[in-house]
Amino acid sequence: MNRIQKKIWSLTLVVLFIMVIIWAALTYYNQKTQDQYNAILQRYLSLNEVTAASQDLITDLNDYLLQPSEANLNQLGASKANIQEAKSEILILKNEDNEFAMANYMNLIDSLMETTDRSLMYQKQQETEASTNEFSEATRISNYISETTLTLIDTELKTYERLYREIIERSNELKKLGIWLLLLITFLLLLMTYWFSKSITKPVQKLTQSANELAKGRFDLPIKVESNDEISFLAETFDRMRININNLFMEIQEKAQLEHELQQNKLLLKESQLQSLQNQINPHFLFNTLNIMSKKAYLEGAEETSDLLVSVAGLLRYNLKRLDKPVTLHEEVIVLKQYMEIQKARFTERLHLHMEIDESSLGVQMPGLTLQPVIENAVIHTIEPSEEGGNIWFRISHSENIVIIEIEDDGQGMTEEKVKQILRGNSEQTEGQSTGIGFSNVVKRLRLFYGQEDVIEIQSAIGQGTNVMLKIPKKRRNDEND
Amino acid sequence: MRKIGIVLLCFLCVVLFYFTFQSAEKVFRSNWEMPEHAIEPVNQHRVVLITKNLDTPFWDQVAQGAREQAQKEGVGLEIWGSYGNNREDFLEKIEIAIYSKVDGIIVQGINSDEFNELTKIKASFYNIPIITVANDVPIEESLRRTYVGSDQYLAGQMIAEQLLFDMGTEGEVVLMSDSHQEYYQKQRLQGIADVLKDYPNIQTVNAETPDSREQIISTTQDILNKVPGADAFIAVNADFTGVMVQEIGKRFQIEPYFIYSFDDGSDSLPLLEQQKLDGVIGQSPKTMGNVSVGLIIKWLNDEVVPLDKKGYLTDIRMLKAKEAR
Repeated sequence: MNRIQKKIWSLTLVVLFIMVIIWAALTYYNQKTQDQYNAILQRYLSLNEVTAASQDLITDLNDYLLQPSEANLNQLGASKANIQEAKSEILILKNEDNEFAMANYMNLIDSLMETTDRSLMYQKQQETEASTNEFSEATRISNYISETTLTLIDTELKTYERLYREIIERSNELKKLGIWLLLLITFLLLLMTYWFSKSITKPVQKLTQSANELAKGRFDLPIKVESNDEISFLAETFDRMRININNLFMEIQEKAQLEHELQQNKLLLKESQLQSLQNQINPHFLFNTLNIMSKKAYLEGAEETSDLLVSVAGLLRYNLKRLDKPVTLHEEVIVLKQYMEIQKARFTERLHLHMEIDESSLGVQMPGLTLQPVIENAVIHTIEPSEEGGNIWFRISHSENIVIIEIEDDGQGMTEEKVKQILRGNSEQTEGQSTGIGFSNVVKRLRLFYGQEDVIEIQSAIGQGTNVMLKIPKKRRNDEND
Repeated sequence: MRKIGIVLLCFLCVVLFYFTFQSAEKVFRSNWEMPEHAIEPVNQHRVVLITKNLDTPFWDQVAQGAREQAQKEGVGLEIWGSYGNNREDFLEKIEIAIYSKVDGIIVQGINSDEFNELTKIKASFYNIPIITVANDVPIEESLRRTYVGSDQYLAGQMIAEQLLFDMGTEGEVVLMSDSHQEYYQKQRLQGIADVLKDYPNIQTVNAETPDSREQIISTTQDILNKVPGADAFIAVNADFTGVMVQEIGKRFQIEPYFIYSFDDGSDSLPLLEQQKLDGVIGQSPKTMGNVSVGLIIKWLNDEVVPLDKKGYLTDIRMLKAKEAR
């Protein structure tokens, strides 16, 4: 993942590639031009060589005629070979335009050679005058060769004029190409550099921005960097760090809340206990007395009174003991029944209690003395004010993970405001409560106990009765944590 | 804004690419090849037409005729020569042609020993056929294969007859010829003389002059002094016509004189048109070129052997001032 390095490399390679192409093209062009110049020069040079060689031949012939020595003869032979060579070289110069002139030129050279040979021959035969004549003829031919060379060069110039002009034009065009190329490459390089630098600095900028946000304490903004190099890797890591910090933060917050709740719970408990203690002076004495009264009634044959007293004693005991410990729904239902028995004794025919209990749900845990205050509330507001009495339904049913306890009455109902007050947990009215524990206290304790708000639902309207629904989770949240 | 920027950049990019590539194409795609050189030696005959009066209307026409014929026959033909009667250059050109071993030489004949030696000895030595054109040199002196051109004797006769017709049978006639004793001028003179000899009342004055301009001027002035009563002038060497007419015009009116010439001088036809000349012998230079090239090719291809030694005569006619109009 050497992306940035790769980018730098690729940029460099592209520049290098362009440079190589230009270099290659220029070298190619240069080579071609050089070749062409060489070819052109070679033409003129070889033409000139013929002239020079023919003049050399004349000089050597002259030397030999004046002084017929072996050395001079050899020199003459060399000159002849020279001129033959020059002749073969100019053969390639033949083209359509100068064909006639070239043929003449070749023949002139031949004539020169022949005349030279004749001159030598006469020299051998001691015919000096003829030899001299031939020599002067050779000299003339040599001159003609020079002249024809000039003519040929002239023709060459005419033939190749277009070509030469093209070469000049091309070299001018090359200058223009150079300028265009410079402009193009500058432009491209600037563009590429811009893109390249942007691709590096933009993610860095984004990262910096995110870091700033993080420094300000905003852990919820995701860090996103659109790039495919090390920066994005950095950003991903950074983002993970942010998520971790965020999680830790949340956990700490939760813990703090839990602690807070625990403290509140304790406080409430204390308050309830204090209330109980305040309300029930010496409950053990009362409890013992009630037991004695029950036995006494039994012995005197008042069995009903005896049972009633047992119920009252049971209720009292329950009230004394089970306030700070979780109890099962089963125990609660028993207490509820005892309480209702007492109330039945009080209201007789006016109280109609209907119970529908799903036995399988009775094992669920809940705080002590939660149902009794609720049903007491129902009794107080339904049965007491009405002469005909009323109905109270008590139902326990269950769904997948909650047990639903419903206490419904057909009394006068509550105002919406009252319902809200109860649900908010700040109705502090405890008058008429036998256990001294109010509805609000029940709601608060339930919420604390299960650690969730949604445990109670109250449907009520004036004149239409009240339906209190407790939703008891089958599993306490704290079970998992403890 | 950003979009506009991108479009602008793209446009700039395209423009730069376009110009760069076009420039590169011009630099690299141009024709690198030198013109092909003929590797195959084309076995065509090389014929040279040599004259000492290059760029005169008459010889231009000869050259044109020759070129046309050469193109038709597919032979290489070059027109060589010298300008303005330069004999030395002319002879040198002939020599070069011989040393260059051309296949045939068509040449304007001149009366000179060097010319004779070149045609007789050198050309024979290299076995190059020579045809004289327009101006002949007798075969005995030049060993030419044949002659193509006008019958100069007949031309002389025609001019003399025209003179008689115009002037009548009485008068003084000045004949201007050059001192080189050119064969064709001799023939012309001969033709004139043969016609005029029957008329004793006509006196002819022969004025010979070297062919430099100053000499012609002085000779003309001289003759005007010597023969003040001259009635007619005949420029036997047509090259003299211009200068002669000019000199006469300096002294007298041109009109009363009867002046005749031939069309192989560069001034002849313009002067005829200006009515300063009374008559000009018109020849057929184009035909000469045509025929001479045709003949030499026939000779080279062994088609017509031998050629007619007397020569192949081309058409001549009398051009008169009125007709020329």
